[in-house]
Order: sequence, then C-alpha cells, then structure tokens
Amino acid sequence: MDIQEKLEILSDAAKYDASCSSSGSNRKNSSNGIGNGDISGICHSWGADGRCISLLKILMTNCCMYDCKYCINRRTNAVPRATFTPREIADLTIGFYKRNYIEGLFLSSAVIKSADYTTELMIQAITILRNEYNFHGYIHAKTIPGSSQELIDQLGKLVDRMSVNIELPSNDSLKLLAPDKSKLDIVKPMSYISNKLENNQRLLSTFSKKRNFSLSPVTKYQKEKFVPAGQTTQMIIGATPETDLKIIKLSESLYNTMKLKRVYYSAYVSINKDSCLPTLDKPPLLRENRLYQADWLLRFYGFHADELLEEKHPNFNTFLDPKCDWALRNIDKFPVEINKASYSMLLRVPGIGVISAKRIITARRSFSLNFENLKKLGVVLKRARYFITCNGKYFDKISSFNPSFINENLLMLEKRSTPSKNNYSQLSLFENSLPTKGDVIKCLTGNF
Amino acid sequence: MFNWKLLKTIYLYDGTLNGLFTIAFDCYIFKSIPSNIIFEDNYISNFLDTAIYIKTDNEKSSRIWNGLYNNVSYDTLYNCYYAFLSCQKNKEINILKYILKAFIDGPKINTMLHIDYVLEVMKLRKNVLHESHRLKGLTRLSEINKNLFYASIHPDNNVIELLGHFFIKRFPLQNLILHDKNRNLLFLYNSQNPNNYEIISSPSNFNISNYSIEEIEFQNLWKTFFKNISIKERTNPRLQMQYMPKKYWQNLTELK
Repeated sequence: MDIQEKLEILSDAAKYDASCSSSGSNRKNSSNGIGNGDISGICHSWGADGRCISLLKILMTNCCMYDCKYCINRRTNAVPRATFTPREIADLTIGFYKRNYIEGLFLSSAVIKSADYTTELMIQAITILRNEYNFHGYIHAKTIPGSSQELIDQLGKLVDRMSVNIELPSNDSLKLLAPDKSKLDIVKPMSYISNKLENNQRLLSTFSKKRNFSLSPVTKYQKEKFVPAGQTTQMIIGATPETDLKIIKLSESLYNTMKLKRVYYSAYVSINKDSCLPTLDKPPLLRENRLYQADWLLRFYGFHADELLEEKHPNFNTFLDPKCDWALRNIDKFPVEINKASYSMLLRVPGIGVISAKRIITARRSFSLNFENLKKLGVVLKRARYFITCNGKYFDKISSFNPSFINENLLMLEKRSTPSKNNYSQLSLFENSLPTKGDVIKCLTGNF
Repeated sequence: MFNWKLLKTIYLYDGTLNGLFTIAFDCYIFKSIPSNIIFEDNYISNFLDTAIYIKTDNEKSSRIWNGLYNNVSYDTLYNCYYAFLSCQKNKEINILKYILKAFIDGPKINTMLHIDYVLEVMKLRKNVLHESHRLKGLTRLSEINKNLFYASIHPDNNVIELLGHFFIKRFPLQNLILHDKNRNLLFLYNSQNPNNYEIISSPSNFNISNYSIEEIEFQNLWKTFFKNISIKERTNPRLQMQYMPKKYWQNLTELK
C-alpha cells in the first residue's frame, strides 16, 4: 500500500476528533532546527465543513482491538485498514510543515495489540521528529486509555498538548457503548497529567527564584516542561441520553479539578447501525453550538454551570443563546450602567464579550461613554442595547426597561438571522392574488 | 486638537516610513500641520492646492524614531509602523497627528480612543495584523529547487516584511522567495546568511511554473488530506468562506 492510500484511510478515520487548535505553546526554534510554536495558534486552512485545519490530523493505525459502538474503526466494522510506520509519519509531517500547510502534528491511534505497544509506536514517531529533524513545531498526542505511566511521562516531555477522550459523559453510557473501556482507564491518565502539570508550575517558580545563580534557567525549564499547552478532552453529543446540564456540569468539574485547557463537544454522526445507538438524520449541530457557547461562558465570562441551567430546565433554549437566556431570567440585575459597572458585570451583558469589555474599561478612564462612542469602539449593540444605559440613558427608541419587550425583540433578531428557506418564494407577476389587508399592515409596521 | 497652525499645503514624500517621520519632525519643530500628506507617485496636481515635496532626512527621522521609543512607548512606535503598512489612502495624516499627540500626552495616547485619528490608527494596526496573521496560515510554500521555496501572495496591506520575518524564524534553513503580486515586491532570504534579507521590486514577468518532483507529490498528498478531513454530514460552504474569503483561494494548493 502506498503512502497516498494510507493517508486517505487514516485521515478519513481521524476526522471525527474535534480538536484542532495549535495554541498555548510558544516553543522556540533553534538556529539549525525547523518550526516554532505560536502562542495564539494559526489556522492554515478550512475544510468543506467549515472546521479549521491547523494540524496534520491522522491516526497511527485504524486496526483496533476494541469494539466501541459509536466508532467507525470498531473491530467488527468492515472498513479498509492501514498502519503508518513511525518514519512515514515523521516524513509526512516535515514535508507538509516545510510547505506551510500545517502548524504541526495531531497524532491519535486505534489500539493495536495493546495500549502500551500503541503508545510506544507513537513515541517513536515523535522522537524522530523532535530529535532527528530538530522539529520544534506543535505536536498534540492522544493518550491511549490504559497505557502505563512511564510511557505517558515520556510522551508528555516530547509533545505540546495531550488529550484523553472521555467520549461519553457518564459511566452507564460508557458501559453500554464502549464495553472495553472503563471509567478508570480514562480518569487515571487524566489526573496523572494534571498532577504533572501542577509540577510544571512549581518548577517554574523554583527556577525563577534561582534565576540569579544558574546560567540559563529558562531553557532548562523548557526542556523539563511537561505538556506546555495543557490537556484537553472530547465528548460525543447526542449518542446517549445525558442532558445539557449534566454535560456542562461535568465540563465545569473537569476545568476545576483536572485543570483542562478545553473540552471539545462533537455532535454525533450516525455512522454505525446498532440497537444501542440512536439513528439521527443530521448531527445535532445546534445543540453542539449551544454547549460551546456555554463552555465559553464557563471559561472566560465567570459563569457557573448552575447559573446557566437548573434541574427544572436541564436543556438549553433552542431560540436564545445561553447568555441571553440567563439575562432574561435574571432581569433584576439589569440595566447595567456602562460607565460604572464592574468588569465582571460588563461581561454578563449579552452582546458584550471579553474584547469589548476590556475596551470599555480602557476607554472610560479618559472620558465618559455614550452610545455613539460605544459604536465607534466596535461594541456590537444588536443585543447589548436592551440591557445597558449610558449615563443613565437608554438606547434611543427604547423608552423604558421592559422584560417582555426585550424577549420579543431578541427572538425576532434570532429569527431574522436564521431565515427558514420554505417561507420565501419568488414573486410572480402572473399570479392574480392581491395583497390582503393583513399584508398591507405588515408592510407598514415592518412586523413580519 | 492642539492650537497649532493648520496649513493649506499638501506635503509629498517618498513613500517610506522615514519620509513620514521626517515630516513629523518638521511639523513638530514648526508647530504646524499640513492639510494632507501624499506619496509623490500618487499625487495628481491640481492648480488649487500647493504641494511641497519634503526630502527624507534620516537624521530627523531617527530623532522621531528614538523619541517615540524612549519617551513615549515601544507600542506607540510599533503602532505607527503597523498602521503605515496599511493600504488605506489617508493613513499618513492620521499617523502624523497620532505621533504629534503622542509626544504631547505620552503613553496614555493608546487609551484615548475617543479621538478620531487615534481610533483610526488603532483600526489600521488591527487590520494589518489581522491580515498578516491570516496569511501566516494561508501562504503555501512550494519547492522549486532543492531547498528553495517560493510563495506568491495577494495581500491588501503591505505585509510582506511581517510575513518574511515569521518564515525566517520558522524555517531558518530554507531559502525563501516571497512574492507580493499586488505590489510586485520580492522578499528574498538566503539561509547561508541568516541575519539578512532583502525586499526588492520584482521584474514584471517574474513567474514560477516549474516545481521539483517531490513538490508535486506532496501537493497531491495535501489535496488528499484536505478532501478526507472534512465530515460530509456537516458540509457548510458558507462557514468555510466566512473564515477563508475567496480572495485568498487563488494561492491555495488545495483549492486550485
């Protein structure tokens, strides 16, 4: 089998991994090496599905000994199988990297023979890259559930980011759909990595104390640094009956206890037919989108999972995004005065994000802001206008603060931005239907 | 802004940052501001206005350069540089006012976003950095000879130097030719001489059509990867176009 065919099979098999970010590591290049990390990450292309391509995302092999029901590479599926040699992976990565196609390598694998054997092969490939080719670009390696701690240690010192996929958000679902994996297999490496990451912090502080005495503490620190870009995980959405609340709670505890950099959500695509699996016409993309919105609120906006959802309403509103939804339920906290509100309260206004909030804080130091200034600063008022005042004044046309009015307007915004295709048709000159009285009123008032 | 004399004259300059800094120096000394600053090649004379050509003086420009760096802030100097790379037409006059104001108000200039020209300079800077960041990903290098790489780009702003720096850091051992086809500029880097690079204007018929054998092979591999990595059930060409506007597609191997 030539390399072209292998790439075809093994990139196709790797595409269901959502993670493709290349941020978080600023590994430096050496004068005789190739590549460096970019702290903010760089996207190199976007596929036909609109997902960014920044890493060469491939499987080492898709010959799997496990039989996870949701997975395309399960043992019992009849799909073409292939295996890369470590050398082939290294050569392919360098060839692509040199031409600026990619930011680095995302290496995952099915479990061949045993977890340890698979991890060893991955380490071989990455060692060739790092030591032989002097490659300092980004490498993300997937941890194979059940591999030994020594190997994880070795891998962690070579790569920038590691991830262990949870895939299914509860133990029952795991038992049902991934009978060969246990919760312990997943949690153990994850907590091991997070402990090592805490060590990183300690290393950094001891080195910075020693800075005056040793020659190059920073380079020494970098050599010993374990997984500088942290670890991530992924969950499949819609294959099992868990509610959004349960998922978002799990994410929150992963961020707090395991110090994860990110949790990815992957809308379930029906690939396998099985009695345990739901059959979906389309992947639940809206639900995935809502979860990502909520995830951002957890990480950057200071929200807690309990604030976003409650036992009575365990799933997200399909019409409104989680932040608007929260604002309408907590309408007593609004309107917010732009010139006085704290940073954390500004962040809670729908339509104001981290960048806008920071800009407002900087700008209002030198002068007092009105709506015109906000527009100039680039703050989008589409949603925010209903929730804020500038120097005690509401946005024009909004005469008073009225929750039901806000709700209606927000829903209308949402409808307008996602027009359903069936409601419109080409007007015809030859149809002799005159506009009704209702149509005329609609035209005049603008309420469609 | 300040109670300086507002002249009716237009200043012409040679299109370099040093030229603009020379003008800034003169304005600062004479406490006057021209009605506009235009690159001499773009100027179309008109009998109503008076235009004066200001000769670039490296002595004067380095005074501004050091003044910004030492007395205002590193960021302010870089904001001027980034804004200057922009393709916008009236950038010069805004940058000039920004520099003069910076000498009066110091580093806090960058928070004074309610002043039009400060906001404008910030916007230009953002626009330039955004495009250069995008092109860091969307530039495709092709090997035309053993270890000699070529890439053509069509950027709106003059980002070739920013990109060149980025690639030198990343690939110090690769010889590189970057070609800005909108401006006919070439960025040349020789790995034998890692501390130097050159930007020259390109001959009008400069074109590359021969690639090494290995190059064709990798281009095919890349196309295969690109095709296979997207999930069919999630196809969303609008989203793809939103992130990667069509104007960049002409230089992308995978979409040719």
